[in-house]
Parts: sequence; C-alpha cells; structure tokens
Amino acid sequence: MQKTFISLPLFYALLFADAATILPVEKRTFEQSKFIPDISLILDASYVTRNKTDDEIAHYEIPGVAHGIMGAHAHDGNSHATYNAYNGFNLNYGELVLSSSVDPYFTLDGTFHFSENGVEIEEAYFTSTALPYGLRLRGGKLLSNFGRLNSQHHHYWDFGDMPLIYQAFLGDHGINEKGVQLQWVAPTETYLMFGGEVLQGENEMMFGTASIADPTATDPDAAPLAESADAPALFVAYAKTAVDIGETTVMPGISYARGTSRLDHFEDETPHAFSGMSSLYGADLTVKHYFDSYSFLTWQSEWMMRDMKGTQYAQPDANTTTSASLRKEQAGYYTQLVYAYNMNWRAGVRYDNIYQNDVTKNDVLQDMEDGFERISAMVEYHPSEFSRFRLQYNHNTALYNEDGQRQSVDTIMLQANIAIGAHAAHDF
Amino acid sequence: MKKLLFILLLPAALLAHLNIAVTYPYIGALTRAVGGDHVTTVVLAKGNWDPHFVVPRPSLIAKMRRADALIMNGGQLEIGWLPPLIRRGNNPKVNPGAPTFLNLAQGIELINKPSEVDRANGDIHPAGNPHFHLDPHNIPLLAKQIALFLASIDAEHKSIYEKNLESFNAEWEKNLARWTRVMAPKQGMKVVQFHDNLAYFNKAYGLINIATIEPLPGIPPSPRHTLDVIGKIRAEHPCCILHDVYHSTKTAEYIRDKTGIRVILMPHDIGALESIDSLTALFDYLTKALTDD
Repeated sequence: MQKTFISLPLFYALLFADAATILPVEKRTFEQSKFIPDISLILDASYVTRNKTDDEIAHYEIPGVAHGIMGAHAHDGNSHATYNAYNGFNLNYGELVLSSSVDPYFTLDGTFHFSENGVEIEEAYFTSTALPYGLRLRGGKLLSNFGRLNSQHHHYWDFGDMPLIYQAFLGDHGINEKGVQLQWVAPTETYLMFGGEVLQGENEMMFGTASIADPTATDPDAAPLAESADAPALFVAYAKTAVDIGETTVMPGISYARGTSRLDHFEDETPHAFSGMSSLYGADLTVKHYFDSYSFLTWQSEWMMRDMKGTQYAQPDANTTTSASLRKEQAGYYTQLVYAYNMNWRAGVRYDNIYQNDVTKNDVLQDMEDGFERISAMVEYHPSEFSRFRLQYNHNTALYNEDGQRQSVDTIMLQANIAIGAHAAHDF
Repeated sequence: MKKLLFILLLPAALLAHLNIAVTYPYIGALTRAVGGDHVTTVVLAKGNWDPHFVVPRPSLIAKMRRADALIMNGGQLEIGWLPPLIRRGNNPKVNPGAPTFLNLAQGIELINKPSEVDRANGDIHPAGNPHFHLDPHNIPLLAKQIALFLASIDAEHKSIYEKNLESFNAEWEKNLARWTRVMAPKQGMKVVQFHDNLAYFNKAYGLINIATIEPLPGIPPSPRHTLDVIGKIRAEHPCCILHDVYHSTKTAEYIRDKTGIRVILMPHDIGALESIDSLTALFDYLTKALTDD
C-alpha cells in the first residue's frame, strides 16, 4: 500500500484554505467590512461644440463683473478649467463620495473631485446628529446653504453649467469654504429653517483674506498694497421656508453673505487687484408641482445682488501701481422651468440676466454695459435612476472680447452623468 | 421676543401624548389601532403614490422635527426619500438606532432576497422584497412590534397598548379566516403584475406571478419585453394583470388589447383608492377583486 505523503507547508495551506471557507463571516476575527462607509463614484463627461475656439473663449469677460469664467485659464500658477471647458471631449470629473456615521453623535461626508489636473476636496465635513432643540452643526469644508443652488452638487443641477450670476459673482464652485455651519429648524407646522455660517472667506471671485503685495516693489520687505485680513472673514445667514398647496410646494428663501475681499489678479493679462468689503444679497423661489409619483413641473428662480466697496489697484506699466476707490453694485437673476414627463424624460429652459452693473470709481459712475444675457434649453434622457444623458444648447450674449466687442457664443453640449455605488438620496 | 418664542413652542408643549411619524398609511393605521388615544400619528407618504418615490417635500422635514418617534417599513423601501428628511429634521429622536426609531422589516422574514446584488438587474432591494404588509398574516407580527415599541418608549401605558393589540388581533383573526376561505379556490392561479409588489399576497394565497411588465425592477417597460410578456400570456393563460395604482396602465392596456387578458387595479395601501379607508377594507378589496368573476 502506498503511503500518501503531504508536505507540512501544503498541509497547513490546505488547513487554512479550508478554515477560510468554512468559517462564517462573523466568526472571522477583526472582520470590519460592515463598517465600510457608503461609497459612490459619479462620472461626468461631455462633448462640446462651440462657435468659438477654446483660445478665444478663454479671454472673454463680462466687463466690470468677471473674467475667465468660460474655458480654461491660469491662476496662481495652476491651470483651472470650468466644466465643459473645451471644444470636443471633456472629462469634467470623477466624483468619489464617502459617507458614514462616525459614532452616535456625528456623521462624516467626503466628496472628492478627481480631474485630470489633480484631486480637489470638494467637501469634507462632519455633521451633528444628536443636538437637541432642532439644531444641527456642521464643520469642515462645505458648500454654503446660501440661496437654492449653492449647496447642490454639479451632478444634481438641472443644467450642465451654473447660472450666470453664480458663475460671475462667485465662480464655478459657488461659496465652497472651510468653516462651520449652524442650522435651526423651528418646531412649527410649516417648515422654517434659519442658518448661519462662519467661513474662512477664500472665494476666487468675491472674497479673500491674503495680503496683496505691490508688484512694482523691489524691496521684499516693502509694505503690501493691502494687509492680510483677519480670518475667518466671511459670514453667511439665511432663512428658508416651504408651504404645500395641494401637490404644489412653494419654497422661498432669503440669504445674505458679507466678507472681506482681497482679490489679487496682478498675474492676469490686465494686472489689477481689489481690497475691500463685500456683501451679497440673495432671494430665491422654487415652485414644484407634482402630477404623480414621477412627473413634475419646477419653476426655480434666484436673484442676487452684490455690493463691493474698497480700493482698486492697477498696474498700468511695469513700474507703477495706481489706486482708486471703487464700488461695484451688480445684480442679476436666473429663472428656469423644468418639466419631468416621466422617469425617463425631462426638458427645461433657463434665462439668465445680469441687469445691473453700476461701477463707481473715485465717486464717478462709470459708463458700463449691463443686460448680460444667456438663454439655455435642455432635454434629458434617464435610462435609470443612476444614469443620465443631457443635450443642452446655450445662446450666450453676455461675453465681450478684449476689444470690448459683445460676442455671441453658441454652445451645444452632450453630457453624460453616471453613478455607481451607494449614493445618498437627494434633498427636495 | 419671549412671547413669540412661547407661541412657537406651544404646539409641541401641548401634546402630552406621543407624536409618532410613520412612513406609510398602513403603519399609521396599525399605530392608531395599538396606540389608541395615547398617540398622534403623522403619515409621511400618500397611499396613492409609488412608495419608492415619495417626494421629500420640506413640509415633511417640519413633521420629522416635531416627532417623538419614527416608524418605518424598512427593507430599503424608503432609501430614496427618507434619509434626507432624517438628516434635515435635526431631531435625534428619529435617527436610525435611536430607541425611538422602529424598523418594521427587522421582525419579518423577507422573501425574494436577490442572490446577486448588481444594478444590472435593475433597482433591486438587496434585503429582499419590502412589500411584506400585503401578506395579511404579517399584519399581527407588525402590530405586535408596534405594541412592544410603544410600550418601550411609554411604559406608563404599556397595559393599554397590550389590550389594544389583543382586541386588534382578535378582530384580525376573524378577517384572516374569511380571506383564507374566499381565496382557497384560487390556489395555483397564474397572474401578471407591473412590479412584483404583491409578492407576499400571492405567496399567502398560492397565486403564481409569471411575468412583470417592467423588464427589471424600476426599469420602465420596453417594447421588446412587452412582446415577451404577450407571448408568455398566450402560452400560459394567466387570469389577469394585477396592476398597481401609481404606474401608467398604458402598457397593460396595450397587452389587454392584444391578448384579451383582464387588467385589475390592485391598491397597495390605505388611500391607494378612495374607497380603501382601513386595512380590512384593503384586503377585502384585494380578495374580492380576484374572486369577483
């Protein structure tokens, strides 16, 4: 009879392989897979056709309001690109979202934007879950609840790009800041919420705290044009309510933000900088009517007005900086109508207008253009809850070229937005 | 200012008894039956709408804010709409895991648990089919959970909840016997549905679901799949299409025109049809719809 021979390592290998297959999951020591947070990945890609080249569009501006809001531009030595920046194919981002309870008292959420330029922490915050009296505290890096759209992520927007007032006044990320947020829901029959935020104040278009150095100074110890501001420097407050009338919900809100502005654009094509205080006023109204479980009509509008007061610095030539007192009172709105026919199809139109552009320099009202307009239309197909394809058309007459001539920019974009994993349900 | 605050806080202070938020009308009915005069029930969803797609309107946040406890169906039925309301209600009493939070699915054996969890198979429920309240035999199990829950958060009225449960069960037993009797001849009968939301009802009375009009859970009907369903109906001769009240019956009517099959509207909850005003009325209707020839 032949003796079966098993080598000792093989014997152990078999033993453990066997153990791994017979032990139920909960008996395997140190098993922690049940503590893995909810993870989801959202891909946003688009195909864009414009009647202007990428080079042209990167130099366009809304005079007195904003520059570099479309296409790609360089800032602080980094190349920035807005969503759908280039003609042809765009990979806007891969958004990774992690979310879980921390302990009985907090949850933690992280949203990471992976782009070809690197990784950005879009949001990373803890939220209290155990505070009494209808209070909720949030801290970390977060999207402010200013207005209606600001706290929503790009993939939840009804259009592939932001309304003009957001883009022009606040940039593509809106008010997205490090800080804390406290919200209180009143114990009333009607929904009534008040919130306040203390934020660092580092928005690229409106708020900033860093000192502005004199670019013409040769002595590195020379006094800056504007000292750095105390931080935190941005304060936000808002009130929101909602009333149901049958199957229609009417949701109005008002918002206010005030903070220090230190905006250094001396590296730009036309070198300039601004130092002062800025206020942003907002009012929003959403009316949503549901026909049945899947079909609805939403009318959403927001109005914003900003008031920036301070000193403008310019560098007319290599050796000189000049300063002037400056006040910018600018206001605009967007209004949009979206109709969801059923679970598969949606269509919408949007109108943008920045109708006020009062710029006062050394107490003299400047002769500035206003009435910056854009119209957009879109149609969406949702094969399921987790995938969406959107065809959008924009007709934009808000932009001016370097010679101060109004441009007419037509854009067609086909956007794909695809999500996998365990993704939290969206708010109303 | 003080006066204003007093007025704002008054409604909450006046409620000496428990203010319980529940997700669906059937849970509201059970909670009222067991809780009696000691609870106020606030139902979040409407009975005639898709239970998967309840609109998380802000008025529901206000209801969550003022609730002393929350009872949900569970089994991921509320996953698409309840979490944002919990997050924004800022009320620790309605947080999952709180002693004042009840998940009814925990006390029920769920059926049709998918062996493979992959969204390529549609918008499936990993924990199993969550429409378990449509087996009337599950109703006493749910009522008992609610009674234990109410007793645990309001020990003072424990005996009342127990008594209410007992009388509810006694009444329900009689109903169960009646429904079993009328449904007995229907054993083995084949049916078609839009979405398998009658899985528990069908199992309880031996009805066999041979097809759904949705190709996969949560995926709207496609022409190709509709033709498959027509083929299946012609081959297997099911009695009828049992259709929910919230999806469009357009495809079902098309199938009816092609095959001559009956389309029967089957309410899934209290309020799904105007005449359904109680749990007994719900099952009376469902059993009658199938036995009325």
